[in-house]
Amino acid sequence: MTVSPSIPTFPGRILEVTLPAGPGGSPVVVGGQNALPLLPEGDHPHAPAVGMEIRTGPEELPPALAEVIGPFSGNPAALAQKCVSGWGARFLFLSLSGCNPDAGGQGVQDGAAIVREVLAATATPVIVGGCGDEDVDGRLFPAVAEAATRPVFLSYAEEKNYRLVAGAALAYGHGVVSWSPIDINIAKQINLLLADLGFPGERVLIDPLTGGLGYGLEYTYSIVERVRLAGLSGDAMLARPILCHLGDAWKAREASDASEPGWGDSALRGRRWEEATGLACLAAGADLLVCRHPENVKRLSEAAWR
Amino acid sequence: MADPPGGVRFLPEGVLVPLSAGESLLSHALRGGIPLLAPCGGESRCGKCRVVVRGETRGGDDPGILSPGEIAAGVRLACRCIPLGGGVVCVTILPETRPARLAAYIDGKDMGADGPFLPLVRCTAAGNPLGVALDLGTSTLAGALVDLSDGAVLSRAFADNPQMACGEDLISRIVFAEETPGGGEILRSRLLAGVEEVAGRLIDASPVRGEIADVVAAGNTVISHVLYGVSPSSIRRPPYRPVLSEYPAAEGKTLGIGGPMAKARWRIFPSLGGFVGGDVVAGLLASGMHRNEEVSLFFDVGTNGEVVLGNRDWRIACSSSAGPAFEGGEVGCGMRAYPGAVESVRIDRRTAVTEYTVIGGGRPCGLCGSGILDLLAELFRTGIVDRAGRFTPTGRAGRRDTERGEAFVVVTAEESATGRDVVFCEADLKSVVRTKAALCAAAESMLAAVGLPRESVARIYVAGGFGNFLDLRSALTIGLFPPFPPSRFVPLGNASLAGAIAALRNRRRWKEGLSLASGTLYHDLSSDPGFMERYQRSLFLPHTDEESYRAALAMEAGR
Amino acid sequence: MALTALDIYKLLPKTNCKECGFPTCLAFAMRMAAGKATVDLCPHASGEAKATLGAAASPPLPKVLIGAGEREVVLGDETVLFRHEKTFCHPSAVAISVRDDLPDADFAARIEAIRGLAFERVGQRISVDLVALRCVSGDAGKYARRAGAAFEATGLPLVLLAPAGPLAAAADAVGASRPLLSPPPEDLEAGARLAAARKLPLRVRARGMGGLAPALATAREAGAASLVADPAPECAREAVADATTLRRLAILARNRDLAYPSAFDLGNGFPDPFLAAALLIAKYGSLLVMDTADPADLLPLLTLRQNLFTDPQRPIQVEPGIYPIGAPGESSPVLITTNFSLTYFTVRGDVEAARTPALLLISDCDGMSVLTAWAAGKFTGESIARQLAECGIADRVAHRTLILPGMVARLSGRIEELSKWRVLVGPQESSALPSYLRRLTAAAFAPSRG
Repeated sequence: MTVSPSIPTFPGRILEVTLPAGPGGSPVVVGGQNALPLLPEGDHPHAPAVGMEIRTGPEELPPALAEVIGPFSGNPAALAQKCVSGWGARFLFLSLSGCNPDAGGQGVQDGAAIVREVLAATATPVIVGGCGDEDVDGRLFPAVAEAATRPVFLSYAEEKNYRLVAGAALAYGHGVVSWSPIDINIAKQINLLLADLGFPGERVLIDPLTGGLGYGLEYTYSIVERVRLAGLSGDAMLARPILCHLGDAWKAREASDASEPGWGDSALRGRRWEEATGLACLAAGADLLVCRHPENVKRLSEAAWR
Repeated sequence: MADPPGGVRFLPEGVLVPLSAGESLLSHALRGGIPLLAPCGGESRCGKCRVVVRGETRGGDDPGILSPGEIAAGVRLACRCIPLGGGVVCVTILPETRPARLAAYIDGKDMGADGPFLPLVRCTAAGNPLGVALDLGTSTLAGALVDLSDGAVLSRAFADNPQMACGEDLISRIVFAEETPGGGEILRSRLLAGVEEVAGRLIDASPVRGEIADVVAAGNTVISHVLYGVSPSSIRRPPYRPVLSEYPAAEGKTLGIGGPMAKARWRIFPSLGGFVGGDVVAGLLASGMHRNEEVSLFFDVGTNGEVVLGNRDWRIACSSSAGPAFEGGEVGCGMRAYPGAVESVRIDRRTAVTEYTVIGGGRPCGLCGSGILDLLAELFRTGIVDRAGRFTPTGRAGRRDTERGEAFVVVTAEESATGRDVVFCEADLKSVVRTKAALCAAAESMLAAVGLPRESVARIYVAGGFGNFLDLRSALTIGLFPPFPPSRFVPLGNASLAGAIAALRNRRRWKEGLSLASGTLYHDLSSDPGFMERYQRSLFLPHTDEESYRAALAMEAGR
Repeated sequence: MALTALDIYKLLPKTNCKECGFPTCLAFAMRMAAGKATVDLCPHASGEAKATLGAAASPPLPKVLIGAGEREVVLGDETVLFRHEKTFCHPSAVAISVRDDLPDADFAARIEAIRGLAFERVGQRISVDLVALRCVSGDAGKYARRAGAAFEATGLPLVLLAPAGPLAAAADAVGASRPLLSPPPEDLEAGARLAAARKLPLRVRARGMGGLAPALATAREAGAASLVADPAPECAREAVADATTLRRLAILARNRDLAYPSAFDLGNGFPDPFLAAALLIAKYGSLLVMDTADPADLLPLLTLRQNLFTDPQRPIQVEPGIYPIGAPGESSPVLITTNFSLTYFTVRGDVEAARTPALLLISDCDGMSVLTAWAAGKFTGESIARQLAECGIADRVAHRTLILPGMVARLSGRIEELSKWRVLVGPQESSALPSYLRRLTAAAFAPSRG
């Protein structure tokens, strides 16, 4: 007996985006597919890529992270090397959180200098994140765009600042991450605004804002699925690779609380919390995952098949 | 019946002005308060005061201005055309000869087939029986006096709704009724005072005396409740149901009405739901969409923005809570469509200098709905505002900082009637974008609720004074409506009043109105899970689905 | 494809007789289109309407019940491929395995551990759903006793993973609890006959679609009616592909031969079971058997399931409460708004942009925006005064000054009257908050005494 399963075909194809590497490094290429994730159908020229986040600001690390990345605190360049050569991160997400006035308050030039150090320490592709303070980021992005010695991605451009971020990126050949607060329409709107500025689509990633497991992940899950379905169905502004930042998973009490006896080992649980968040994002259609636990680079890459 | 004394009947208003020998039609119009465009001041230079004449006249057929075909069709220049005695001269004012949007408030189109004249009240002994049709709007009360012996409209009038002092929107008024001691009674007495004011003006303007025997009123649900003496409180809270949806006919006196309408029999149009009232039912009645097999959409762009979708078999209605931006509310320099309001705007892409027209032609003091619509469309078209409704930083020509933030100067202080700049700031932009988003999303939600594709809508009726004058290209540019081809739009003017007049003239039409209400489903958008999403989609210029608008605009340009 | 409300309406009498309980025929049609009413409510529907609408309403994926009473587990009965299209209805059931050959004490401890796999999250209890009893002993009597013990100790329905002999014995012992019979492929026919005789659900295991098609046919021929399909994949990748194929066959192709709820045994050496379980919760796994009973594994999986099986049509809300922004102190401003997520995100972003540490109070307004909540009477002077008194904000700041959204300035008097807090009316638009907050002087938040 033969069974003919219904395999849907799509008219659209996700735009291929390259995150450039330095000399000797491997660029990350994502996109190019014309089918849903994880399934043996259609073309999947590139597997999803898993990268790691490096934060420059001081922070209290959950126990699961403290033991592995704690020792690199205050040394972004060393952590960058370890992420790439030790743990297999295919790209780095450098959050200049230390430039936030409430978290260290490093100057804009300090932030730009860290970007240069990290770019010098490794040849891997880099996405540079702002500090979250509108005013500081307004100065930080142009400074980073100018200081970066090779093309990076700037994260992120939203409705309020897109001219500034995209302007800085355009001038120096960088890419941008377009951000929207778990809303497919705003995701499309920010991409339309970028297109109006003449920003090339093959240098844009979509960050739909990733809620952590138990704290809004389901909303992100459906938005990622919808963005991907819209892109495959022919909506060019949404036919772009999706980046999911798993950092929020670590904000959950369940990811760090060691006081609940019935919840099992907190170090394993924390890692699992991020892993489950990332697996759900992959199932929905994410092309790039940014994780924090070194083990999860390997774990999530196991499911990043094409 | 004897021949009526000589006079001039202006259509579509229906106002009869007694003949004044030797005077032009333009003078008759001025005397009767009929708005007519005459930019040259009646010196027969501009050729703009075109009307169609039926009856005995002389002059006004200047061959240098009118073509032989036009002259043969009865087109005349009102400033040179003089009616002759011995009968009624009917003068139809052409749409392009309408100067002010003012008229739209009291004018409405009835798309219904002319039924037999079947008034509820027949002649009684004492004098002419008269009827009053009322449109009780949130901000404006409008009325028409109808001769029940032949159905002719004798006069039209309007007045501000005195309830404005108790809150500009319906919710505020319910809160006023709940929280102010005696608030409910204050709302009611103000409404009655306003209604009596309108009646007084109607009688003053009427060439015919008589007794008012019949009143048909169309109002939103809150006003209808207040008029009927019932608390509107339940409308504000989930499940947003009115206490009454039908209002049994009553004598004016029992409703607390004094003056000439006290002895009349009052009929109030039934409500569809808390936020879709009898004004919409009357508007639907006038649109005639309930008689067609093809599917139509009906928009009432007023304070709430009601939308109805359907045909003769089924209808579904909602209120979009769009807000009054297109009535001039919620916008810093917004105003209603009175003389002095900027009604259309064009902006020079290079210099950011504006060209505009003003209702009544004088100095401008603010922006009315169509001016606001045009302005936003122009700001967007010229790149001064981006798709998100924000001013772009490049080239700040035409802008200055105000206490309400950065603003675009539409009219400079030197040119304005107020001695101050007429400006449009970012908060105004946002407010207009929100209003248009709510309206557009409401229409999309209606289509989605019944599972109908946009292409199946054959006609789009736009009721409200705004509808008569909006520039459809501007509407498409900013996404006020879903991207329908402009040829499908039908402006209705004050359709509520037109519906009320129809119900006065013909009792079968009134019955139709009653069955319309029970056969139209009220759809509560606040419990429609997809509405917020569609609203967000529409909160963009023209829309997040900009491809469809681009296609519709390209079609329009190609026509 | 699903019928639209208008498609359905056209089949109805169009009389608006209201006998169905809805105000118009269209209203009734809309409810039917949403799957929330059935045609039998209409006393005047034609035979054709009943036939068409009845067929359209039957679920494309059959429903399978395991267990009885409170802990009954429902598999299948799904109608969409993506949760945003409507919702996923029946969460992937999780069964934790236990071997029947464990020594008594170990068996009891394992059962106890399984029983403990229940957690409270956001007011809901989330727990594993079934106990999967693996027959390793081969001893029918022992297996039946263990089945009885496992059911008695946990109250959870059972998945009986056993060859025909022990399976029959256990069915005798615990048949009334409606366990899922899960014989190995070689005992399919015997298992199917047992399922038919006892009217119990049956798991059919065979490799891939090619294996499942004849196996399911065999089970049906033997009289088993309530079936669950296990495509026996070798890795997570195959499992996701198989589960997707089964679900698509049900929903897109309306296939009736293969389209059953899916089951996966992720124990017994299955590679990377955590990864497979997470992906199958997202992608169409109906029943997952796992060997791990570690809460560090299960709390994340059950939370993922809880997330993905909530109804996506609920408005996005944030939890009401106090949200610190930056590092607020006792003289930091206190702002209030509603719990509609877009409102929250917007206000939060704008307060962050002000670079003024602050405390943001989020009111429980059923996910409505400020004006909507006010209009609906959910954001009132009373509700705000109550929140100020009860949420503990008075312990976080020394002052008693509240910044109210400008849109509801009219509430300020009532709040001041009821709460003794002073109200500052904030801007109408959230976007004006940065400049507004920067303009406020420290004196506005001086400690209040008494």
